[in-house]
Amino acid sequence: MTDESGAELWKEHQSAFDRVRAVAVTVSEPKPADWIAEQAHVAGNTARDHLQRLVEMNVLRTATGGTATRYEPDPLYTRMQALRNLLDDRTRDDLLKLRGDLQEQVEEWQTEYDADSPSELRERAAHADTAEATREMRQTANDWDIIAYRLQLVGDAIEHYADYAGSTPAPA
Amino acid sequence: MFAFDGGYDPGQASHTVLLELRRTIERHPAVQHASGEPPGQFIRVVATLDPAILGSEADEGTLTLRWYAGEAADADPEFVFHYSENSGFDCGWHHEPNPHVDGWAHYQERLSADDEYEYEAVSFDSLQPVPLLWGILDRLEIRLTDR
Repeated sequence: MTDESGAELWKEHQSAFDRVRAVAVTVSEPKPADWIAEQAHVAGNTARDHLQRLVEMNVLRTATGGTATRYEPDPLYTRMQALRNLLDDRTRDDLLKLRGDLQEQVEEWQTEYDADSPSELRERAAHADTAEATREMRQTANDWDIIAYRLQLVGDAIEHYADYAGSTPAPA
Repeated sequence: MFAFDGGYDPGQASHTVLLELRRTIERHPAVQHASGEPPGQFIRVVATLDPAILGSEADEGTLTLRWYAGEAADADPEFVFHYSENSGFDCGWHHEPNPHVDGWAHYQERLSADDEYEYEAVSFDSLQPVPLLWGILDRLEIRLTDR
């Protein structure tokens, strides 16, 4: 089965610029323009134009080394987007409560699995009694990695709340 | 995805993808609303759909998206795109270790919550989150229309 008609659907509902941006901000490693163009279903020159603009906007940055220019998300932009999403509609008290909830979740996993970190839990998962238990523990380890990042973000948002929220409209 | 200090952070990479998937899925005409769940935790995206637009007669449908970018930057992602509706039917495209098919990529479905899942090996043209999402939305529409 191919996903060609999925590409048609995508092209119908998102512009070439949006498609290039969506691919480029979610790569795990720096990628050249031609690779991004292929994934985003745009022509190579179109991708290069949009990528250049995204670099000027500080959404992306270029990676050094290698022959072709490669692009990756700008970590500052990535973090800013995540913080903005976290701060939307949340007061400082909401964030303090959220931090407590996230910490409680991590402590529950630590107790339940007798593991201090997601990677330790993955090691335990490899030696679990059943395939189902392995699967569940791996899933929890994946969630735990995300929660650990969320906790960092919430900590940052609380620490700098006055600066960050200064640009947020006051609640009605 | 590079963390702030230049190292790879699987939590950050996964979270970034989930944010982008939520943003993108709202562009699909069948999607009424999409949010990060559980509230505040954001370990998955849940989209409320209008099943009629996808060719189903059910009143309500949801698509749940999970994404884990992998422990290392060059690892394959683990993901789940799972649809369920109030008729009891549910189905999904998954990419994760499993005992049912060779390899990670599979489709599973059951007609009601009392049934056992049936599994089928599948392949994906791309493991990039956003192109993959549109491909799966298309496969879902085909599956619901043909049902």
